[in-house]
Amino acid sequence: MDWFVINLLNGFSYGVVLFLIAAGMSIVLGAMGITNLAHGAFYMVGAYVGWTVGVKWGAGFGLALLAGGLCAGLVGLAIERGLLRYLYKKPNEQVLLTFGFVYILANLCLWIWGGWPRAPFTAKFLTGSMDIMGRAYPKARVAVILVGLVLAIGLWWLQEKTRMGAIVRAGMDDKETTMGLGINLERAFALIFFISAFIAGSTGVIGAQLLGVHNALGMEILLLALIVIIVGGVGSIQGALLGGILIGVIDSFGRAIFPQLAMFTMYLTMIVVIIVRPAGLLGRKI
Amino acid sequence: MEALKIDGLSKQFGGVDAVNNVSFTVNVGERLAIIGPNGAGKTTMFNLINGQLSPTSGRIHFFGQDVTALPPHRRAHLGQARAFQAISLLQKLTVLQNTLLTINGTNPHRFVIFRPMKKFEDVLQKAVDILKRIHLLEKQDESVSNLSYGEQRRLEIGLGLSMDPKMLLLDEPSAGLTKEESAEIISIIKSLKTGITVLIVDHDMDMVFEVADRILVLHYGQLIADGNPEQIQTDQRVREIYMGVEDAVDYAGTT
Amino acid sequence: METIKQDKEQVRWISRSAPYLLGVSVLVITPLFLDTYGQGLMTRFLIFAFFAMSFNIVFGYAGLLSLGHAAFFGAGGYTVALLKLHYDVNLFWITAPLGMLVAAFIAALFGIIALRASGIYFLLITFALGQMLYSLAWNVKWLNSKGMQGITGISFPDLGIAVLTLDTISFYYVVLIVFVLSSALLYRLTISPFGLSLEGIREGELRMEAIGYNTWFLKYVAFVVSGAFAGLAGVLFVYYNFFISPNHLGIATSFLPMVMAIMGGLGTFLGPVVGAGVFIFVENYASILSPQRWPLVLGTLFVLTIMFAKEGIGVYLWRLWTKWSHYFGSVKN
Repeated sequence: MDWFVINLLNGFSYGVVLFLIAAGMSIVLGAMGITNLAHGAFYMVGAYVGWTVGVKWGAGFGLALLAGGLCAGLVGLAIERGLLRYLYKKPNEQVLLTFGFVYILANLCLWIWGGWPRAPFTAKFLTGSMDIMGRAYPKARVAVILVGLVLAIGLWWLQEKTRMGAIVRAGMDDKETTMGLGINLERAFALIFFISAFIAGSTGVIGAQLLGVHNALGMEILLLALIVIIVGGVGSIQGALLGGILIGVIDSFGRAIFPQLAMFTMYLTMIVVIIVRPAGLLGRKI
Repeated sequence: MEALKIDGLSKQFGGVDAVNNVSFTVNVGERLAIIGPNGAGKTTMFNLINGQLSPTSGRIHFFGQDVTALPPHRRAHLGQARAFQAISLLQKLTVLQNTLLTINGTNPHRFVIFRPMKKFEDVLQKAVDILKRIHLLEKQDESVSNLSYGEQRRLEIGLGLSMDPKMLLLDEPSAGLTKEESAEIISIIKSLKTGITVLIVDHDMDMVFEVADRILVLHYGQLIADGNPEQIQTDQRVREIYMGVEDAVDYAGTT
Repeated sequence: METIKQDKEQVRWISRSAPYLLGVSVLVITPLFLDTYGQGLMTRFLIFAFFAMSFNIVFGYAGLLSLGHAAFFGAGGYTVALLKLHYDVNLFWITAPLGMLVAAFIAALFGIIALRASGIYFLLITFALGQMLYSLAWNVKWLNSKGMQGITGISFPDLGIAVLTLDTISFYYVVLIVFVLSSALLYRLTISPFGLSLEGIREGELRMEAIGYNTWFLKYVAFVVSGAFAGLAGVLFVYYNFFISPNHLGIATSFLPMVMAIMGGLGTFLGPVVGAGVFIFVENYASILSPQRWPLVLGTLFVLTIMFAKEGIGVYLWRLWTKWSHYFGSVKN
């Protein structure tokens, strides 16, 4: 029984990180219609900055979280304002452009931080373990689950209950009318993109304990985000959450039972979902 | 045999009834117009008949065959040709390329991989004939985006006719056209062979009453009237929907 | 009358083919003046030009952005490598067709999965499928030489001609022949009714369906054909590289034909060739000057191309050139 619970918790904590990664990308895709393949690179930037602030300068986890999110957010904002805004409704160009930035950002991180990976890190007060059903379980992972769920509720509220979500959705469908209603769409877009990148960056710091800090994160995280989005469906927090938790749990149990299968349980789940429900389990039409 | 039989057709979009339990038949050779206020479900109706959308319930029979589950390309092969509300022509390709593609569409040689298109002389000749008929031959190498809106409309309808269809669906053919261009469209429709069945959706009432044998009126997805032009003009419910708006405007104007 | 018409046809054919014949002649003659390094570079150029052309069929012509094209490239290469590693088969006439077949098979499989979706989802799924193959090659022992990632020990292919053992320059000519023949085939495809319908699908799938095209099927065929030719490029690649690794199945390699096709000019037949030429050239010098910053340079060039020269650097420069020459021409008058 305790084996089951431990693996379930592992699955949830990983799943929550996956959710956070996918949520940012899904928000931008669903609300703005922008495919941002650099999302994983934003995560990476956040992880590196968080490491510098939290570990190298020892400034504390909270500050590291903030710094990571902020830096990633600013990078994202710059890309959106400088380049991406000219590519609305041009999905191929968006994909290609943001993909180019994966290379650019990965190489910049390599330049600044060097090629050696950093050890996973987390908040000082969360190091050590707690007792779960007679086994020692890392406190940090439990914290991740809790934080993640809080963020999930917060994001869902933002999506459903605020004007922001509705405005951006309207704006994507009919820009002129929305702007004619006096709503500053450009600012809304910039804000949404910034928030998405900020989430990616902070998740980089949160997820550092599970996924580490290294130069290949840009692609790796992107791949995870895509799998979660394909499974859970685009454009909704619920989809990202379902996809994330599902994949996290399947992966966790998969590795526990068949360790040599690595990521294949994820891929298999993805293929099954594609065949059965091509738009994802909770997918909305974009 | 009827050209088209619509049986209890409904289409829901997440709780909204775009089309609600509509039934009607169309006879071969009939000129049928579908009218109604914006959002009444007219284009949705076309999308259901032509296959771009699947109905939530109900059946569609085309010349006796149940086509409800057939994809659009199969319906084209059965004899449907459609002009879309927003011109669907391939803008970045030339007039000639668009014509060739339309001719090939219902022809088995569209799958040929190892023979150049330009070697199909009979197809090229047919394209020239079509373009000559609609007076666009000189523009054959122009990209469609360079044509005027009226010319594009003419091309789209002309290409639809070149498919030798059993039924032509025209979705707002007069939209965006000048009076002269609309008159041109009217004369094209009037000159069509009696064997072709024509369905038109349009807001231009002059065109509708000139061209249609029969008119269907949709409102919030429901069929509320079905008759010849005189009947529709005098139908109380139809007046309420259309003229009701006018009355309100009149009233506001008098203050 | 007939003979005059025939003569005119012949003259027209010659004048239209002249630039191609010139190009092929350059490709035939140049390596004779280069050292083995230069010859290897030209081989690399041809292989990647071919890879980019196969990608152009699916993206430039059919409009399907596939982020997993290297899966087919690598599949072709791995087939050759595995045949050598496990069965000691090195006969080109066996390995090459088998490589293409395996690549086509993988494309057929991936196509069914990926084409369930369209637009963004298609893209994401092709990416994930490519990475899945990468993951497979990384983890499954049978797909690797002992004790390492990837397969080594490949050498030039055996052509089954007793006196002919290939070396760098003769292998180059083998590649050139394959390149020219396959390009001709692909060209025929693009000017056929099928090729035209691919362009139609790219420009407006809705209309194409309404006029009678089974667009799913056509996209699928394009996907598989394009995958088969990518596989052939992969076959040639592993014979050139003597080594294949999981990286050649993944996104890092999928990115390359994208860059080349886009920078050279999408939807033009020779654009990818130009793009490949520029790429190999720049890559060569970047690797000498600053190998660590090469991805940065590549990424930046790519971003600039997307923003300012979407139809390809070649097309952009040519337009610039025509603009300037008009300007100077009018100033002179």
